[in-house]
Amino acid sequence: MSDFRQIEFYKPNSHKYQLLPFRFTKLDDQSYVVTNLAGEFVVLPKELIPRLINHNLSDDNSFYVELRARHFLVDQSTAIARDLLAIKLRSRYDRLADFTSLHMFVVTLRCEHSCHYCQVSRKSADKLQFDMSLADADAALGLALRSPSPAIKIEFQGGEPLLNFGLIQHIVREAKRHGAGKRLAFVIATNLALVDREMLAFCYEHDINISTSLDGPRDLHNANRPRPGNDSYEKTIAGIRMAREFLGKDKVSALMTTTEASLDRIKDIVDEYVSQDFAVIFLRPLSPHGFAIKTKAYMRYNTDRWLDFYREGLEYIIALNKQGIALTEFYASTILAKMFTSRDPGFVDLMSPSGIGIAAVIYNYDGYVYASDESRMMAEVGDQHFQLGHVRHNSYGDIFLSPKLIEPLEDSFAYSNPMCHDCAFEPYCGADPVFHWALYKDHVGRKPESEFCRRNMAIFRHLITLMESDPFVRRLFLKWANKC
Amino acid sequence: MLKLSGRIDPIRQREDARTALLTITTDPSLPVGIRDRFALLTDQPRDVTGYGAQLVSNSLEPIESPLPDATIYQLPNHFNYLKSGDIVYIDASRQFLNTLFRKGSHHNSILLTEQCNSYCLMCSQPPKKIDDSYLLRRALELIKLIPKDAQRLGFTGGEPTLYGDSLIELIKQTKLQLPCTSVDLLSNGRRFKDKEFARRFGAIKHPDCTIAVPVYSDDPVRHDYVVQALGAFDETIQGILNLKRFGQKVEIRIVLHRQTIDRLVQTCEFICRNLLFVDHVALMGLEITGFTRANLDLLWIDPYDYKDTLSEAVHILTSYGLNTSVYNHQLCVVNRDVEGSCCKSISDWKNEYLESCASCTRKCECGGFFSSSKLYKHSSHITPFV
Amino acid sequence: MKVDVTFDSAAFSLDAVKTACYKFLDRFTPDIELCEGKIICHLSIDDKFSEAAVNANVDDLKKEVLDQDLRLKLKAETEPIRNLILAHAFSKTGLIADE
Repeated sequence: MSDFRQIEFYKPNSHKYQLLPFRFTKLDDQSYVVTNLAGEFVVLPKELIPRLINHNLSDDNSFYVELRARHFLVDQSTAIARDLLAIKLRSRYDRLADFTSLHMFVVTLRCEHSCHYCQVSRKSADKLQFDMSLADADAALGLALRSPSPAIKIEFQGGEPLLNFGLIQHIVREAKRHGAGKRLAFVIATNLALVDREMLAFCYEHDINISTSLDGPRDLHNANRPRPGNDSYEKTIAGIRMAREFLGKDKVSALMTTTEASLDRIKDIVDEYVSQDFAVIFLRPLSPHGFAIKTKAYMRYNTDRWLDFYREGLEYIIALNKQGIALTEFYASTILAKMFTSRDPGFVDLMSPSGIGIAAVIYNYDGYVYASDESRMMAEVGDQHFQLGHVRHNSYGDIFLSPKLIEPLEDSFAYSNPMCHDCAFEPYCGADPVFHWALYKDHVGRKPESEFCRRNMAIFRHLITLMESDPFVRRLFLKWANKC
Repeated sequence: MLKLSGRIDPIRQREDARTALLTITTDPSLPVGIRDRFALLTDQPRDVTGYGAQLVSNSLEPIESPLPDATIYQLPNHFNYLKSGDIVYIDASRQFLNTLFRKGSHHNSILLTEQCNSYCLMCSQPPKKIDDSYLLRRALELIKLIPKDAQRLGFTGGEPTLYGDSLIELIKQTKLQLPCTSVDLLSNGRRFKDKEFARRFGAIKHPDCTIAVPVYSDDPVRHDYVVQALGAFDETIQGILNLKRFGQKVEIRIVLHRQTIDRLVQTCEFICRNLLFVDHVALMGLEITGFTRANLDLLWIDPYDYKDTLSEAVHILTSYGLNTSVYNHQLCVVNRDVEGSCCKSISDWKNEYLESCASCTRKCECGGFFSSSKLYKHSSHITPFV
Repeated sequence: MKVDVTFDSAAFSLDAVKTACYKFLDRFTPDIELCEGKIICHLSIDDKFSEAAVNANVDDLKKEVLDQDLRLKLKAETEPIRNLILAHAFSKTGLIADE
């Protein structure tokens, strides 16, 4: 009909376009990843990068349409990009102002296990001086509730926190009494060897979650985690069963720790998680802190070997998903949330500014406050670099405005660091001043030499490459992205 | 398909025969004081006075004489669906009847204007540049008659926001007259780019009003082309943002045809990244009426051919947690994974099935076809389930 | 032994060179001189270090200077956005005075 115009009429008259802020980093030999201000990515053939930047990309090119729709460039046809980018950016930083939402309480340092990689010094069972005092617990709780965050998660740690269950009960009751309109969540990080029905009844009554350790099948788990009787695995499995009976499957989660012995056993580890009916597995790297360095556990493997382990694990998990087994890998899902949504999953190690102190904080058994779990482990082996103060001797302001917190926050701010500043993956990555301090005695490190950087960049590239080559994976990863 | 309007033959018209909104009743002994608000539906003229009109349903029986002193019209057969409680508009001078509200229907929709500032390629209500503001005035009267327990009411056009603050007044009156009735307002959203207008609309604080806004592509050029208006994309998005700023519920609609299917997946990704705060997304099958028939060669694509694209689109929207519906698609042309989002969306008065559907075991779950689709064009892959 | 490492002052800031040298104080003593647009670091290194070790340290120093130079530049350039975001993080704690 003559009344209707062709699409050409609606295209911009001029071929000029303006670039919106973006960064680009190599994906592989043929392509680059470009990311916009809001962290959305597009994979471009490498020849298009100079053309895009030199304003030589024609609006007939299908990538042009894509880049305009995804807010990498604007032309005469639209001006709404800036408003939408502003909204997305604001969403990304929304949670920051909620401040500290994860508060970890080390209720005791005592533990009946002697795990090789333990980040905490082992103390034997009869040294009661390694329990957190009531006064310190109350003071710590006061600090926790002082946080402006509308939701607080209290995580009980140790040693083995069940060895001081009475204090857990006290803190839970007091938190609920003084909670002042905050949403409270509780979790106990426990090996479950000592759990009993009374404890689980309490957990049920107060809606407390359990996070336990499962390193893999029995031989691997027990080899990593010796205890008297060498039955850590049996105890853990029995504990999981009982906990699920009382609390339901959703309230019981497991973490694994990767050791030298794990590296060849990835399929067995994943199979173990599937047999034990877990919906999530977290393929963690071994932390380079504390006890591990003392025993040279960290020295025994390097980033490349771990990456092989991770890639093989992910491949197997994807294959399982293709068979209908819905297992999610946690680290990937955290990164995917940052790739596909404006929601901050709140994972301390992948935040910039770093999540130390401002997202998570830990109150040690002796009342000292540390900027992160890793940094209190460092203190156990003599480095108190991130000790922020004491729950009874210092005020909230002393602790959270301590230069020991502010300096690493500022120094490690990724956008201010060489290489991170221009990296397309920076929106997905994080500043980890504690890691870099432990290894390089510097809050920043030199990124080309940083294992943190190398590991994460390899994972970002791997996840994107997988999605580009397999539509099933893209669908699956989109689901994972929206899980956290 | 039901005909909602048509001529009525005057058997007898009194001098005071009114052009008015009348509620249908079959009760010949209503209290005298209220009879003039009603039209008496009857099989023979009744010797009662005071009703706004008598409507004689068509039968084989001849009209008895003598005729009572009343305004009496003969209803053609196609009005046999009229029931007590329905509301009609009788134009005494033109001898015309419009059915405006049907009590038993879930799909009552009030046309507010045929004017529009867009010119969509597939417009089912092609714009007319005439002053039809009488439709708005009539709507204001109509809502006073609609029963308070009506569950849903739609307002459509044309583009209702062309009335500006008069539209706001109508919605406010609807809230006051029908506080328990959910309202759906169809709009291209462009007028709401005016922040103050959006603020005033939000200030109505209607307890359950959703504005359904079409977004046809993440590509501004493509969207502008489909609606045939330069700059419409930006205005519409700005409108949606403003409406959400002021607490207004918004639904996004995408009509699926050849001009929108290519970037459907990207458009859904765009909605999930930029407009995640909308309350609902509806992916809609094409109605073969209005401009669609004129542009059929540009628009037609067999839904069976895009069923995988539709599956992917629905997967993306539901992954992000958006409430998603698929309207106007038959169950045999979509993949199983989409069935959960399908609903019986076609207004009952234009909803039909094909002959081949008679043996289908899932006919009662399926939304069927637009009458116009059955008549003019539908998928070549319609197959009954066995 | 003495080794000279030279940096072009048009390319590298003096502050960066000094900060970098500071990190190597456990390995050598630097004597920094500005001369005709060049920053010369006269390094005094203990003879116990092998030639290979000295070369490795000099390479490391050059990398460190580049690193520190970029850090300084970026820190200054990104100060407004960094302050904005950190202020936003602390905005509801009651610890920052309203301005």
